[in-house]
Amino acid sequence: MSQDSPMAFVSMKGVGHKYDPLPDAPMAVQDIDLDIKKHEFVSVVGPSGCGKSTLLRMVAGLLIPSHGEVSIFNHPVTEPRDDVGIVFQKANLLPWLTVRKNVLFPLKHKYGRYGTADEKRANELLEMAGLTQFADKMPDELSGGMQQRVGIVRALLLNPDILLMDEPFSALDALTREQIGFDLLDIWKKQPKTVLFITHSITEAVLLSDRILVMSKRPGTVLDLIEVDLPRPRSSNTINSSRFAELTDLIRGYIYEPNTPA
Amino acid sequence: MNQTRPLKSWFAIQANRFAPLIFFVGLVILWELICTLGKVPNYVLPSPSAIITAFFNVEFSRWMGHLWATLRVALMGFILSILIALPLSIGMMRSELMNRILYPALIVIQSTPVVAVAPLIIVLLGTDDPSRVLITCLITFFPLVVSTTTGMLETPPEMIELSQSLRAPRYRETWQIRIPYAIPHIFSGLRVSITLAIIGAVVAEFVAAEEGLGYFIQFSTSFFKIPQAFSGLIFLSIISLLLFKSIQWIQMWLFPWSLPKKK
Repeated sequence: MSQDSPMAFVSMKGVGHKYDPLPDAPMAVQDIDLDIKKHEFVSVVGPSGCGKSTLLRMVAGLLIPSHGEVSIFNHPVTEPRDDVGIVFQKANLLPWLTVRKNVLFPLKHKYGRYGTADEKRANELLEMAGLTQFADKMPDELSGGMQQRVGIVRALLLNPDILLMDEPFSALDALTREQIGFDLLDIWKKQPKTVLFITHSITEAVLLSDRILVMSKRPGTVLDLIEVDLPRPRSSNTINSSRFAELTDLIRGYIYEPNTPA
Repeated sequence: MNQTRPLKSWFAIQANRFAPLIFFVGLVILWELICTLGKVPNYVLPSPSAIITAFFNVEFSRWMGHLWATLRVALMGFILSILIALPLSIGMMRSELMNRILYPALIVIQSTPVVAVAPLIIVLLGTDDPSRVLITCLITFFPLVVSTTTGMLETPPEMIELSQSLRAPRYRETWQIRIPYAIPHIFSGLRVSITLAIIGAVVAEFVAAEEGLGYFIQFSTSFFKIPQAFSGLIFLSIISLLLFKSIQWIQMWLFPWSLPKKK
């Protein structure tokens, strides 16, 4: 790799992990090689239990891979970093805090306090996500989709370069899910981030991503890395295009017939 | 979709609403009837009317004196219990080793009948408040430790990952995430403990005391004033019930979010 090539923000080289240290224990994830470029949106799809979440936790620094190396800005990841934000499967909001205080929680939790400038930033982020009128509500007064938007806003508070999303919309109903996908693209356009998006929805992956990493059943390995050449901005019209159908069919082929050679 | 349900009569709705009260009043009436019609002697089973009469035959100031004696011990024991249980639970949640060392000890303390140990404690610490408070504390703190520890360990793992991803100090993980998540569990422990605190105080009074509702019941019984003993018992139950309820009120007042959602 030459010096002037576009710097890989996130780089995985031969990454693998097994939870059990015994020599003959099964691998959860195996031989993952992936470079994610600046402001690129990469999705990981695969069947349940293929180690998608394991992969995300290794990038987050919550789990140190037993094989290979994950690096961010050419530094090996050995612990969680400040420039990485995580959106979890459930919105994961604290039920005793208002929406605004939930958004500010990372600061309160990390440093024990926050200032007026931070509150201003939280308000701006809430406004961007169309949540201003809900800022003083409690999480349980919000719909599931809105709660997850708060979860995304919270992950953006510390202005991370990298956003990791672990099946963030899987707990939502189909209609909300499609809408929040567009909301996410909208937020991503306003606040460009390098995104690693874990999902088990093929259509969601195709709709949102620049590239899609298709993983096999456990132990999770790379079946294919697909370039999504659909034009942006994407909308509900994108879903009706023939290219969209081709891409989803291609991925569906991998998921349902895992032995198909790549 | 908008199917109209058959309208229940006003009477049926009210009967359903006050069912527990109706049941209770019915029970008291039945009790009264059995006692008067069956000519049950007062020293076997006093009738509700005899109990009420006995209650008002005792001066109000005497009741308050006994009540205060019992309540003081129960509440001091209960508060001491909270002060011990909370740090102990945090320690057991944070350290696997501490959990392994302390848990068997707690089980041993819990399975030793406090009633049997009470006389020994009196011998050890004397007949004043400290021994009574200790007895109360011994009987109340186990449910608190168990519920608090369980609550903190049941914090959603993703919440803990959020804390780890922020590299926040552990004490903030405990204080800002785990303890609030344990609030519903802590309060169910508190509800159990507060009624046990009354039991503890009464047990202590049975062993050595000159005042208190437990002492009053024991002393009335030994003088064959059975209706008076019953009035003491019922007064004690009402106090216990009120304490139980006030724990619920405190939870509603301070932590409304921790209550189960009404649909």
